[in-house]
Amino acid sequence: MSLLRGLLGMELIGTSVRLFLDFREKLASLDSALILDVPLGVISRIEKMGGATSRGENSYGLDITCKDMRNLRFALKQEGHSRRDMFEILTRYAFPLAHSLPIFAFLNEEKFNVDGWMVYNPVEEYRRQGLPNHHWRITFINKCYELCDTYPALLVVPYRASDDDLRRVATFRSRNRIPVLSWIHPENKTVIVRCSQPLVGMSGKRNKDDEKYLDVIRETNRQISKLTIYDARPNVNAVANKATGGGYESDDAYHNAELFFLDIHNIHVMRESLKKVKDIVYPNVEESHWLSSLESTHWLEHIKLVLTGAIQVADKVSSGKSSVLVHCSDGWDRTAQLTSLAMLMLDSYYRSIEGFEILVQKEWISFGHKFASRIGHGDKNHADADRSPIFLQFIDCVWQMSKQFPTAFEFNERFLITILDHLYSCRFGTFLYNCESVREKQKVTERTVSLWSLINSNKDKFKNPFYTKEINRVLYPVASMRHLELWVNYYIRWNPRIKQQQPNPVEQRYVELLALRDEYIQRLEELQLASSAKLSDPSPSPSSPSQMMPHVHTHF
Amino acid sequence: MFSLKPPRPTFRSYLLPPPQTDDKINSEPKIKKLEPVLLPGEIVVNEVNFVRKCIATDTSQYDLWGKLICSNFKISFITDDPMPLQRFHYRNLLLGEHDVPLTCIEQIVTVNDHKRKQKVLGPNQKLKFNPTELIIYCKDFRIVRFRFDESGPESAKKVCLAIAHYSQPTDLQLLFAFEYVGKKYHNSANKINGIPSGGGSGPGGGGVQKTPLFETYSDWDREVKRTGASGWRVCSINEGYMISTCLPEYFVVPSSLADQDLKIFSHSFVGRRMPLWCWSHSNGSALVRMALIKDVLQQRKIDQRICNAITKSHPQRSDVYKSDLDKTLPNIQEIQAAFVKLKQLCVNEPFEETEEKWLSSLENTRWLEYVRAFLKHSAELVYILESRHLSVVLQEEEGRDLSCIVASLVQVMLDPHFRTITGFQSLIQKEWVMAGYQFLDRCNHLKRSEKESPLFLLFLDATWQLLDQYPAAFEFSETYLAVLYDSTRISLFGTFLFNSPHQRVKQSTEFAISKNIQLGDEKGLKFPSVWDWSLQFTAKDRTLFHNPLYIGKSTPCVQNGSVKSFKRTKKNYSSTLRGMPASLKNGIISDQDLVPRRNSLILEAKPDLPQQPESQNSGMERYFREWFSKPADLHGVILPHLSGTHVKLWKLCYFRWVPEAQINLGGFITAFHKLSVLADEVDVLSRTLRQHRAGPLEACYAELDKSRMYFRASGPHDASGTPEFLSSSFPFSPVGNLCRRSISGTPLSKFLSGAKIWLSTETLANED
Repeated sequence: MSLLRGLLGMELIGTSVRLFLDFREKLASLDSALILDVPLGVISRIEKMGGATSRGENSYGLDITCKDMRNLRFALKQEGHSRRDMFEILTRYAFPLAHSLPIFAFLNEEKFNVDGWMVYNPVEEYRRQGLPNHHWRITFINKCYELCDTYPALLVVPYRASDDDLRRVATFRSRNRIPVLSWIHPENKTVIVRCSQPLVGMSGKRNKDDEKYLDVIRETNRQISKLTIYDARPNVNAVANKATGGGYESDDAYHNAELFFLDIHNIHVMRESLKKVKDIVYPNVEESHWLSSLESTHWLEHIKLVLTGAIQVADKVSSGKSSVLVHCSDGWDRTAQLTSLAMLMLDSYYRSIEGFEILVQKEWISFGHKFASRIGHGDKNHADADRSPIFLQFIDCVWQMSKQFPTAFEFNERFLITILDHLYSCRFGTFLYNCESVREKQKVTERTVSLWSLINSNKDKFKNPFYTKEINRVLYPVASMRHLELWVNYYIRWNPRIKQQQPNPVEQRYVELLALRDEYIQRLEELQLASSAKLSDPSPSPSSPSQMMPHVHTHF
Repeated sequence: MFSLKPPRPTFRSYLLPPPQTDDKINSEPKIKKLEPVLLPGEIVVNEVNFVRKCIATDTSQYDLWGKLICSNFKISFITDDPMPLQRFHYRNLLLGEHDVPLTCIEQIVTVNDHKRKQKVLGPNQKLKFNPTELIIYCKDFRIVRFRFDESGPESAKKVCLAIAHYSQPTDLQLLFAFEYVGKKYHNSANKINGIPSGGGSGPGGGGVQKTPLFETYSDWDREVKRTGASGWRVCSINEGYMISTCLPEYFVVPSSLADQDLKIFSHSFVGRRMPLWCWSHSNGSALVRMALIKDVLQQRKIDQRICNAITKSHPQRSDVYKSDLDKTLPNIQEIQAAFVKLKQLCVNEPFEETEEKWLSSLENTRWLEYVRAFLKHSAELVYILESRHLSVVLQEEEGRDLSCIVASLVQVMLDPHFRTITGFQSLIQKEWVMAGYQFLDRCNHLKRSEKESPLFLLFLDATWQLLDQYPAAFEFSETYLAVLYDSTRISLFGTFLFNSPHQRVKQSTEFAISKNIQLGDEKGLKFPSVWDWSLQFTAKDRTLFHNPLYIGKSTPCVQNGSVKSFKRTKKNYSSTLRGMPASLKNGIISDQDLVPRRNSLILEAKPDLPQQPESQNSGMERYFREWFSKPADLHGVILPHLSGTHVKLWKLCYFRWVPEAQINLGGFITAFHKLSVLADEVDVLSRTLRQHRAGPLEACYAELDKSRMYFRASGPHDASGTPEFLSSSFPFSPVGNLCRRSISGTPLSKFLSGAKIWLSTETLANED
């Protein structure tokens, strides 16, 4: 465990946003100031260390565990109760929920020239996809969140299914999360549909409405005789879920469907895996057996399974020309990962900055990924079993894709890291609460600022200079351990020894070249102006470069 | 030229396994006149018709029909069939698309399906069965497979035996380069100096300086002057290899040592390899390599004399720091073992089965650990030379193996000249070819050496690590490094053929006499140099060697407005952690960091540092810490990051033939493409500007045809998409080079279960 020694004149300003420390180091070889800036929302737990009898100058103080892989330890002087005060202030503002205080996002008065809440409009997004069409309709059945309280108000369902049908299907799906459309292929019209598990139970219950409904979905696409169902879970987990009333679609009940399990583990496994990642990178990066230590965390293996699953979904839709239904247990963790990643592979629009914001807003936020439970915003209960890095894992998968396709994404690494930072920071309302209905009740869009306001008002910072806009190219990453890497710039970014060159030298060189090009173009234009002023003859001189490089010439 | 074959329109359903259509086998094979392309001196020794080259293990639908020939240079498969599924082919002018040079062959396996037998063919062996299949395992990680179902059984057998025989020659003079050069001399019989020697032109075509070969006095003299080394002189006592047969004729020694002394001392050194100067720092510290002193009685005395002389050559009379490489680094056997495991893991073992344990298997090969060890040791010596101002002596038993790697890496890190193409090539000449690295034995060109070890590859790999970490610090690209590695497997270039310069002279003189070639004044035959890249690649293809990120020192840069300087100035570096001690972890200083940790950059106390003060470790730690806290000056020293997250597998080199690992339309090359296009556009603009200033000069037009870049801008603000043929293997292609399942078109095929992954040979019994 690291500690800060000889803290002279440490100031701690506990605002409700951030822990802001400014102290000058009095080390012989250095005279640089260190400023530590930690949003309080990032704090997972605060502990006192040492007691009145502690010996040694570093044994007494505070220990702060953060959600972003950091641990901070502050040594304090024992005299004057400074620790008690600091502990209380920190606890109060880091965990406002326990003290009936508002989360900081509601107090934040930042102003941006763009309103991020305007980014996602479901009707517009479905219209972009060509919906509604004569097979799919938009329904307002969930307008007041009565059909399903964790789904968005607006849903896209088969044209041939009536609202009554939907209500009956809802009774057979866990938490009423019925199969609804996420994405439709612009050409072959196959669809990605998401839902929760069917309530089959131990007795193997069947539901005619659900069976019929899936058949209706299948029939919206005439190209293939089967509907493909991807159950994200390992087979055994799906079977085990029968004990608690859940299960999966059996062959007998669903004749026209083909079911595959994708072997992705549950939230608890992912949480433990990330814990192990932290163990090998903090406080010191495991060096002598780095690769085998990394392997033992299984983190990349989980990434591989998620990506592999998404590739299968995307490939089925694109090359297999079959509609796909994706679910896990409740359809808000693994399902969100799979549908959003598959959509990212299939639809180049989501690879733009705004497209990606819409993707997150749609597949994660509006479809009820339980951000509040998974992250524990403002909650002091750090050991809650609901915590899990599912969204982080999704962003990691996106990063892996961007590494494999350096020109395919409009956004850069910083964009992804910024999203993750504000996943915890509580500065914006974007990731607060578990579902749309609660957000509506809390008037989040009126009372808080959107993260996309910050990003979209400063887009250049988040742009990948290599981005080449492409349309209709399906992106298949290679989900192999040979290519997957630990995201060092995120997981080990607090360690200066490991820190990668920033900014990325390749990107920086590209930006320099862009500037140089503009410089040259400007100077050429000036030269040409000057020469055309001299010669009143407007026709290009025979020695002009036009013959050799018409493209360059025309540009000037 | 490049053959940019459009992908064959293979719109088929990928939902089902490809149909096992064997109609190609049943149909009557076409009879065509297929003629090999031969080099001067190359002769066909055997051939067989109606051979099938297998493209995939799970289907024969892509297989090619043609003729397999064995010449004294290569095995060649000649076909009229276009290559299926291939988007791009990087053409080597010396080799056809399906050719394998004999010196690139690692192992020859013949199989008979019906008799369920297989045999690894050595030279002069008998084969009791008629082979139905021939598998060639190549040294560059490829695996090529042929089937003889429709060929004459006897001629198939003969070709296999011929390949086995000619790829494992009994004598160095049987290597093709001799025949080739002999023929060249005969053809130019009237001109005595028939073959131009020298480093060839640079990859970019005209105007690029020649690579110094360090065969002459003047090359060494120039290098001494270039580095500003005072107190060092070129010594000619080994002219005609009178002193040592494994040293170059000219080398550099401390000025204070007289020729007479050197002659006496030389007897005490292993291989008479006395101290050789490699390089001098601008502060006067020198890098020197030498063999061990075998004469125990004289050891102290000679050692003292040498050290004193090196000290005298230092402007500050600094001490000498000795580094015993045999004690600190893995030995050649260990490196070879690691390489064999790496190769096994990367290409031989089934892809899916190695996935789960990939990371630990990779670690277990120890290859990356060894690469790191060499980088780490070299970085420590950089500290000694640069910061402690001490001259460094590399000591190794013979001083011609590990020393080559360490001496080269130290210079690549310290001297930006060696990060240019010409500089890098001169470094290889200086520290490898002339210093007597035993290419013949270590590459095992004659297939009978027990001393095979991939030290040169390890050096290229370590260089790649530096290139990966400092992508703008090198003039060359990773393609260049990979192609350079491949060139060690083509027995045409004198560069990588011999154990020492003397061996070239001796062997080629013998050969010339036996072939009645008049040598005149020449010392041995002049073999083509690998640095004459035009022998292997067209000018256009050679542009792929250029790194578009590199900015040469001489490149003019705009000094106003937004483009200030290409150097990473301190201002560009924005980090709140700048200037913090490296031991700062998560913003907090750690106590433990004051204690050196294993495998960190911090040096542990070493037995070979008797004269070191207590502060050595902390001094080195401080040096590295300070260096890493500042932005790197790409025209200054560069030091490697050594953590497990930084030392990586060189994927282009080791995965380029593995179809499953290929990222279609992806990989770093796609960013490289964008950069090249932009760099090209900037080049065009800068030429246009210069032309404007200089007035309408016709000469400027000529330049416009040339581009440094492989990918060129089609117009201003070229926003063209990624070319279809790019993949993470580019410019190489796995198609036909590694017999694997037919993975193409769709990722779904990767998930098809039950597809046969590897060859039938595992279940077969060995003959013998």
